[in-house]
Amino acid sequence: MKFNDARTRARLFTSANYLLVLAFAGMILLPFLYAFSVSIKPPTEFFGTPHLIPYEPTFKHWGDAFDNLREPLVNSLIIASGTAIISLFVTIPGAYAFGRVDFAGKKIGFYIIVMALLFPYVLLIIPISDLWYRLGLFNTIPGLWIAYQAFITPFAVWILRDYFEKLPLNIEEAAQVYGCTSFQAFRKVILPLSAPAVAAVGFLSFVVSWNDFLFSNMLTTGTGPRPAVVSLFITTAGGEGLHWGLTMAKTIMIGLPPTVFYLAARKYITNAFAVE
Amino acid sequence: MKETFLEHRLAYLFILPTLLFLVLILWIPFFRGVWMSLHEWPLNGEPTWIGLENYTYLFEWDVFYTSLKATFLFAFTTLIQLVIALAAAIAIKNIGHLKDIMSSIFLIPYTMPPVVTGTVWLYLLQPQQGPVWQYLVGWGILDSPIYWSVSGDTAMAAIVGVTAWTFWPFMFLIIFASLENIPDELYESARVYGAGRIQTFLKVTLPNLKSAILVAVSIRMIWNLAKISQPLQMTSGGPGYETSILAVLLYRFAYDRNQMGIAFAVGIVLLLVVIAFILVFLREFERDSGGASA
Repeated sequence: MKFNDARTRARLFTSANYLLVLAFAGMILLPFLYAFSVSIKPPTEFFGTPHLIPYEPTFKHWGDAFDNLREPLVNSLIIASGTAIISLFVTIPGAYAFGRVDFAGKKIGFYIIVMALLFPYVLLIIPISDLWYRLGLFNTIPGLWIAYQAFITPFAVWILRDYFEKLPLNIEEAAQVYGCTSFQAFRKVILPLSAPAVAAVGFLSFVVSWNDFLFSNMLTTGTGPRPAVVSLFITTAGGEGLHWGLTMAKTIMIGLPPTVFYLAARKYITNAFAVE
Repeated sequence: MKETFLEHRLAYLFILPTLLFLVLILWIPFFRGVWMSLHEWPLNGEPTWIGLENYTYLFEWDVFYTSLKATFLFAFTTLIQLVIALAAAIAIKNIGHLKDIMSSIFLIPYTMPPVVTGTVWLYLLQPQQGPVWQYLVGWGILDSPIYWSVSGDTAMAAIVGVTAWTFWPFMFLIIFASLENIPDELYESARVYGAGRIQTFLKVTLPNLKSAILVAVSIRMIWNLAKISQPLQMTSGGPGYETSILAVLLYRFAYDRNQMGIAFAVGIVLLLVVIAFILVFLREFERDSGGASA
């Protein structure tokens, strides 16, 4: 009897957990479902009784949204890809040294980099706008590529170092036995082994850059390489008098690529975040 | 001996680009900003030295205190994020199936640009066309939609809620990863000693999540106060200045008024507020967990 009781309670407990998880999933998915729903509704269905499934679905808004956003989306793509490539060149060697080589000042150097995570970046838009203006980087794509490294570097070093550190010991020594120099050991053995983590960090940098509003709004104008997020912001600020079908089509169009990239990179990011 | 020297040289060569970048685009701009805050400094114009006038102006300006108050209210979003993230991480650990797909779903709001999720909520909460009010009025819970953006309290509630909804997955990510790393033996022995669920949670789960919570709350607190696209987009800092948290105030000075010096002075105050939050939090956290284990 008592045994049964405990089992019933365990079952109840598990069901309660399932319910909670489903409730959270609903809290996340429902807003997107409604956003998608309005993006395929004809304008006559925007008002009145709310309904999730449109009576007469149409993809007209999606076509219009794409025509509207073509240039900003291309800008975003170029900005985000370049940011990702530069971030890998800047952070892989550093992360490797911090993860696998012992040298004087290693700990301090690492903390200087990671402590930058705790910096409220909004402050930087002011001096960076001013400096970029004077250096001719204002309103240019390379200007954004460089500016984003400020918040990507600490993150990327953290995740990559974690991965390098966990690779088996002595790989480099084994490579040296076969006649590699230290640099060759890094380039020909460690780097290929780290491909998944490197790809994950590349994706993550892409996402950070694609998603950013603060720097891109401050550092570009309408005549320059304005990315998609800024162009969406400008049409929506205040939220009055918007064509919601078109706006939600644009919104989902901009929101989908980073989600796909992030979920692809997720496994390696999560591992680095486990705090012991 | 020669070999270690070479290895060291390679290591220094390797960390050079990383450190150089960080110095060039973080620390030099930061100190330049401090210098700028002592000037009247229009973008693309000639700066004029004014000493501490930007700071005295701020401290004598009523709106600055409205903004400080808004910042403290807005900071509660971090607490909401922690509660949701903790509940979600523990619930998902206790289910057998669907773990991967569910935890991926949980991350979605965080993976999208905040401007995107902000726009989605602008639609959902739009008084005339937003489904939220259509349902609440349709079901007879409300007589009429709430025009939330015209009053300070409801506008603040909206941005706190939307920010919490958007960013709790980041805390979930850290807490869930750490939860999975708690050794099963600890739970086994808790069971052997006859600990109930609540006791197990208090004596095993929570103490082992201590550092994770610490890291998650510190990072999130800073970023919540510094990421401003959603407040800016949803309320433009209004009505008046009632939802102009410090970061939004900074942005309004820089972007709308082209006053870079005073904008950075606001930034310095923001930095001090953030540091104060973190220090107080660390102290309380240490004291609490010290008491629990004693």
